[in-house]
Amino acid sequence: MRAMAATSRSAFLESWSNRAGFWTQVLTMVFNDIAWVVFWSLFFRRVGAIRGWDTPRVLLLLAVFTTAGGIVLGVFANCRAIGRMAGAGELDAALALPVHPLGHLLLRRVNTTNLGDIAFGIVLFVVGCQPTVERTAVFVLGVVCSAVLLTGFLVAIGSLSFFAGRDDAGDLGFHAMLMFAAYPVDVFGGAAKLLLSTVLPAAFVATIPARLVDDFDPRLAAALVAMAGAFAFLGWATFQAGLKRYTSGAAWTRA
Amino acid sequence: MVLRALRVSAATAARQTLAQPSGLVVTLFFYVCVVSVLSTLWRTATAANDGAVAGYSAVALTWYVATSEAATVSMNTRLIEETGEDIASGSVAVELLRPISVVGLRIATELGRCLPRVVACGVLGVVYARILAGPPPRLLPLLLAAPSLVLAVTCNLVAQHAFAGVSFWIRDARATWFLYQKLVFIVGGMLLPLEVLPPAMTRVALVLPFMAMAYAPSRLASGHLDLWLLAAQLGWLVLLGGLAVAVFSRGERRLQVVGG
Repeated sequence: MRAMAATSRSAFLESWSNRAGFWTQVLTMVFNDIAWVVFWSLFFRRVGAIRGWDTPRVLLLLAVFTTAGGIVLGVFANCRAIGRMAGAGELDAALALPVHPLGHLLLRRVNTTNLGDIAFGIVLFVVGCQPTVERTAVFVLGVVCSAVLLTGFLVAIGSLSFFAGRDDAGDLGFHAMLMFAAYPVDVFGGAAKLLLSTVLPAAFVATIPARLVDDFDPRLAAALVAMAGAFAFLGWATFQAGLKRYTSGAAWTRA
Repeated sequence: MVLRALRVSAATAARQTLAQPSGLVVTLFFYVCVVSVLSTLWRTATAANDGAVAGYSAVALTWYVATSEAATVSMNTRLIEETGEDIASGSVAVELLRPISVVGLRIATELGRCLPRVVACGVLGVVYARILAGPPPRLLPLLLAAPSLVLAVTCNLVAQHAFAGVSFWIRDARATWFLYQKLVFIVGGMLLPLEVLPPAMTRVALVLPFMAMAYAPSRLASGHLDLWLLAAQLGWLVLLGGLAVAVFSRGERRLQVVGG
């Protein structure tokens, strides 16, 4: 654990070393996220509520999505790169360390830009989502589950390149997941909604956590926790299985 | 001679794009995801609003979204950042040795890289919109949307180079691509037709260059025979082209005097 904490600390210090660059990147992402607030505000102003979703509810979804997405893509930045590194045989440095390679890889690099998402999401929740003690507790639970699920999904899909040798599946999965998760899944119906709640669990990334904050349902919360656990296990198991197929590319990188 | 060099550069870049089918597959997959989400959203919205939003039917909005996304998804979203890095790092200085305009060659290369993706997204968009929503509202405007789509992508590329040229003066202007991209999203009409914006905002958006990059071809594809949109795109292309050349010319002089 101490080694992991030290790895994480050094990743943050690396990101923080260029103060001007740090704040520029964080503020850039905050501005990017504000554009989505503008889009949704304009959209609902024109069309009114649809299928139970209106501006305040979508802002809640956006708060969960950006906070969880910021944690995954900002703090565990390498979870998007595992497929590329595995396919290119760039994991040698991580495998030589006396810590679990997956944990080390996830914590090794911080993406400063996505830290802006975390700041934005938290501020949006505090300012625009009527935080009470209960709502804040459910928000935190939702964000944690969402981040665990998203990390597990990205690791699992990235680890497929241990077997395929290419990271196309990782790229496709990443784009699809973020795209579908950023919108209320309730606008979809039938088979699409079922797909987004199971194989590509985008519904559990933001829609369901946001619904829980507004209207807590213990069974739905249990399903969210179970889904997060299942995808965390899937990510770990796929990575472990993939490691047995790993072939070094003789490239000693910082991983 | 110059035109031939630009044409060869564009053709080579196009062949490079086609030689990497996995990149093209990712682009097309992402395109289908975005069009699915946005068209579903708009179709749900029209169903909740007596079948039309801001004068657009569900069918028109599906064709609108399929076109606006083809115009933007096929672009290299980080072009401003990458061009800015080349300028800030000084590596652009090597390109000054060539007997041809730096910005001209860069735009031609990027256009060549982009066109196969535009064509692929455009063809897929026509098929997908037909399946999702039905036939296009009107055929003639849809046919005009094809050249308009190429003009939209060209305007966008040229404007991105003009924007990235700021890096000749500001060392770290890379992050500005986020700002540019969001302007195309909202006031360029990528996410929503400009008629959906509040009236004052619509009026402002219609006189900005970003409308030439997504709104113009999408408005045509959604069945509106507004020929002035093509004229506006040509006008913006000339203006933005002049701006990009001016920015790079001054920037290159500065690079030669001050160093990279």
